[in-house]
Order: sequence, then C-alpha cells, then structure tokens
Amino acid sequence: MPPLVSIKDLVKVYPSGTRALDGVSLDIQRGEFLVLIGLSGSGKSTLLRCINRLVDPTSGTVIFDGIDVTAADRVAIRRVRRRIGMIFQQFNLVRRSSVFSNVLSGRLGYRSTWRTIASRPTASDVAAAFENLGRVGIAQRAYSRADALSGGQQQRVGIARALMQKPELMLADEPVASLDPATSHSVMKYLEEINRKDGITVVCSLHFLSLARRYGTRVIALKDGRIAFDGKPDAIDEKRFKEIYGEDAEEVEIGPERSQAQPMTANDAALRALADGTHADPSGR
Amino acid sequence: MAEYFTARGLPVPRELQQNPLTDWRKLLGIALVLLVLYVGLQITAIDTGRANVEYAVGIIRQLFDWDFSIMSPRDEFETYRDTAWWKMIETIFLGVMATAFSMVIALPLAFLGARNIMAGNPITQAIYLVIRVMFTIIRSIDVLIVVIVLLVIFGPGNAAGVFGLAFHNIGVLGKLYSEAIESIDAGPLEAITATGANRTQVVWTAVLPQITNPFISFTIYRLDTNVRLAPILGLVGGGGIGTDLFQSIQLFQYGAAGLIIFMIVFTVAAMDFISAQIRKRLV
Repeated sequence: MPPLVSIKDLVKVYPSGTRALDGVSLDIQRGEFLVLIGLSGSGKSTLLRCINRLVDPTSGTVIFDGIDVTAADRVAIRRVRRRIGMIFQQFNLVRRSSVFSNVLSGRLGYRSTWRTIASRPTASDVAAAFENLGRVGIAQRAYSRADALSGGQQQRVGIARALMQKPELMLADEPVASLDPATSHSVMKYLEEINRKDGITVVCSLHFLSLARRYGTRVIALKDGRIAFDGKPDAIDEKRFKEIYGEDAEEVEIGPERSQAQPMTANDAALRALADGTHADPSGR
Repeated sequence: MAEYFTARGLPVPRELQQNPLTDWRKLLGIALVLLVLYVGLQITAIDTGRANVEYAVGIIRQLFDWDFSIMSPRDEFETYRDTAWWKMIETIFLGVMATAFSMVIALPLAFLGARNIMAGNPITQAIYLVIRVMFTIIRSIDVLIVVIVLLVIFGPGNAAGVFGLAFHNIGVLGKLYSEAIESIDAGPLEAITATGANRTQVVWTAVLPQITNPFISFTIYRLDTNVRLAPILGLVGGGGIGTDLFQSIQLFQYGAAGLIIFMIVFTVAAMDFISAQIRKRLV
C-alpha cells in the first residue's frame, strides 16, 4: 500500500531568513501514530503546516494520497484540507461562539458559502456534531460559550471539530503543551482512540519524550530543520536523547504544571478599558 | 552610602552621586517652567480687573430662575418644533445621524486600514498606509472647524452640523474599528482555514464573532461623544439647541439659557450613564 503522505526534500525559508526546514524527506504510513519531537524552533510546527499547506514550502513536495499538495490550486487545496483534521496548542476555538457552532465549523469545507452565511446546517451535520461532542464527553456543554470551558475541555472540542471532517489524517500541533499532566493524558487518550478505533493516521508534535514513548508507534526527531532520528519510540536511549536535545539536556518525566488561564485578547482588554472609562479617546476630546 | 558600592567595586548609582540641591539638571528644569509661565502671563495679558463680582452673582441667580415659557410655543407663529424640548430631541438626533453616517463610511474603510487584513503584497500595504494616514488627518481637524467650513456649502443649520460631526467621526471610528480588526486572535482563522473552508467562510465564522462586540461598543461610545458635542455646534451655526442657547445669552434671557444648560447637562449625563451600562455588558 502506498504511504498516506510522502514528503520529499522539503525546505522552508521564512522571509526573516529563518531556515525552518532544511531538506526533510519521509513517508507516513496509514494507521501510524507518528510523534514529532525536537526543541522549540526545530521545525515541528512548520512541517505539520506544510502537510495541509497552512504554510507554503519554499521547495520540495508533499504528496497526500496521490495528490501533490504543493502544486494544488486553491480549490484543490481546500479539498485536501477537509480530509485532514488539525488541532492546536492554543485550541484555536472561536472563543465567543458556542461549543456547538465551533464543532459544526468542522463541516465548512463540505458546505456552501450561503449555508454558512444563513446559519443553516444540514440535519446530518447537527446530528454528527452531537455525536462527536458525546464522543469527547462534553455534549452537555454544547451551548456554552467556548471560552467558558476549561483548557482540557476546549481541546476536546478541538478534536470534535476535527472529527467532523471525517479525516483520514489528524495533525496535532503540541496539543497538550498548554495543559496540566492529568489533562494531557486524557486528551492524548482521545487521540489514541481515534487512531486505534477509527484508523485515522495521527501526526502529533510533543514536548515530552515520556508522552512520545507512551502513545507513539513511531518517533521522528527534528533538529535544526533536519531529521535527527526516525524509529521506534523505545529506541531513544540516553545517547540519542543527547543528540536530539543537546549535551546539557536532562530528561524529565512530564513538565511542571502549567496554568490553563488564557491570555486576554487585545480586543477584550480594549473593551474592558472602554467600559472602565480608562480608554484614551483618540479624538482628543 | 556611596562607599558601599565603591568598596565592592560596583558602579555607584546616579542618585548617590549628586546632591539634589546642586543638581543643575533639576534646577534648570524648575527655572524653565517658571520662565514659560512668566512669558505666558506677559503674552496673554490676563486682565481680571474688569470682573464685577456683584453683577456675576446676579447673573448666576438668573440662570437658576428658569424660564419655562420656552417649553411651549410662545405665539401663534410658533409650533412645538420651536420649543426647547423639541430642539433638545433634535440635537440628540444630530448626534445619532452623524454617528450613523460616519459608521456606514468607516466600516468598509476600516478593513482596508487593518494591517493584518492588508498584509501580503505591496499594493494592499500601500492602501493600508494611505487609509490610516487619511484617518489621522481627518481626526486632527476639530469638529467646529469642519462645521465652519461646511457653512460655506450648506449655510447655517443642521446640515452643516451633522456632516461636520460625521466627517470628524469617520476618522475616529475608522481608527477604532481598524485597531479592533488588527487585534483579533489569528488562531481561529488558522483553524477554520485548516478545515478546508473558503475565504468568505473563514471571515464569517472566525473574524465576525471576534469583532462584533468591539464594533458595537466603539459605536455606542462615539454616539455618546457625538451627542455631547452636538449642543456646541449651534455656537458656530451648526444647528441644534446650541443656536437657542447662544441667542438667549445674547438677548440677556438668562432664565432661558439656564434651563437650556440644565437640559444639556441632564441629557449628556444620561447618555454617559446609558452608554457605560451597555458597554459594560458587552465586555
């Protein structure tokens, strides 16, 4: 069987001159749970975003199920994107919208623009939204505002949104980096479940090697935009670890507990200042 | 104290190096302020010698002896449209109409003046720059000056007032709207794009929910400000209740002037309160 994703000589140089990817080639097989590790800035996020072309690579090719993603036009790229789900470190939900409409937005790629503008989801999409919310255990919160949920719950909404696409591939960009250890495992277990039960191929970047060993079927380490390791998770010993993370690195089991508090957006801050009367009037009156 | 630092080979903080009484920078600063104040007094020649306290007290008394005859038609040629309460309503709507007109123009321009929307190619970036400079220039011309200029076109009256107020407001609202668009969270845009949605769907689902509340909030805030400015317009011929206030003072009708001032103060305070309450709920 041909690989689901085939990446060849991928290079990405940002306008700032940063060489995020420096010749990456790899094949991703169907059904894999591929974990990307590496230091911050090693190119994990860029590699993930080149697969669904949220980032345009400078050179090289990405083939998804026989389709050249790097050469696809606007319509073709949208057809590829809707077959690839994605979840994010900051969850990237529309915070002011309800959980339900966030989940429903996973179907946008399959629905016409007028349906979006008229807010007329199909009956089957509504049913699917509740089914997926039930799967991640938050159907009761369907009509809450997305930002009223805890970080772990928001990430589960993100998973439900991606599942709406009925994806063949799931990209996860540090999905648990903003979560505490206990919540991290609950989110990772949902990813494991969709990988095992639904047969969805998962490509997931992670900070912690312990999580990579526990959930990955294959680990790829990036260093300075190149592949530094490609193999089974348990093949990463002390020596390999130092190669990937540098001589001074120490392995930790799972990081310090992090706050789930989300930063206020600039608009929220401006609104609050305006309500408090502390906003500076630009008219000078 | 300074020895503590020198003994340890550390640089001595500037606060410890200088005696504040002999610090020439501080003394120069004080001298400069005094000089400006002295020169200012000479130039402006403020003369309080002609103030007549007894006369002033008399006028202030009259200001509170309200003349309620202005609240109804005074002769057979006047209708309710000539009464003070109607003029007050008219003035409030000068502010409302000015806000509405400027909103319709500022709304589309704001998208062209938002850096994150216009990023990408040099042409759109140039448009962004032109729009923002235009907003700044418009904003820097005071409302009263715009109204005076518009008198040439429309003559004295509500038209000059409304359009003068609206013109200035385009600059203010445009800037506020643009900044609201610039400060949206880009994360949801990326996520919705990743689902395979087209550009219109992305804007509709991820951008609009983020900007509606700031837009409503800024618009109500400017409505409040415009209603506050509207009574002043009459002083330069921009219509509204300000015209009546100006006339009653020139005709020494202080009882009428006092009542009009009270109505304006009451209206502005009420607007201020209502607008603050609405904006608080929008956060």
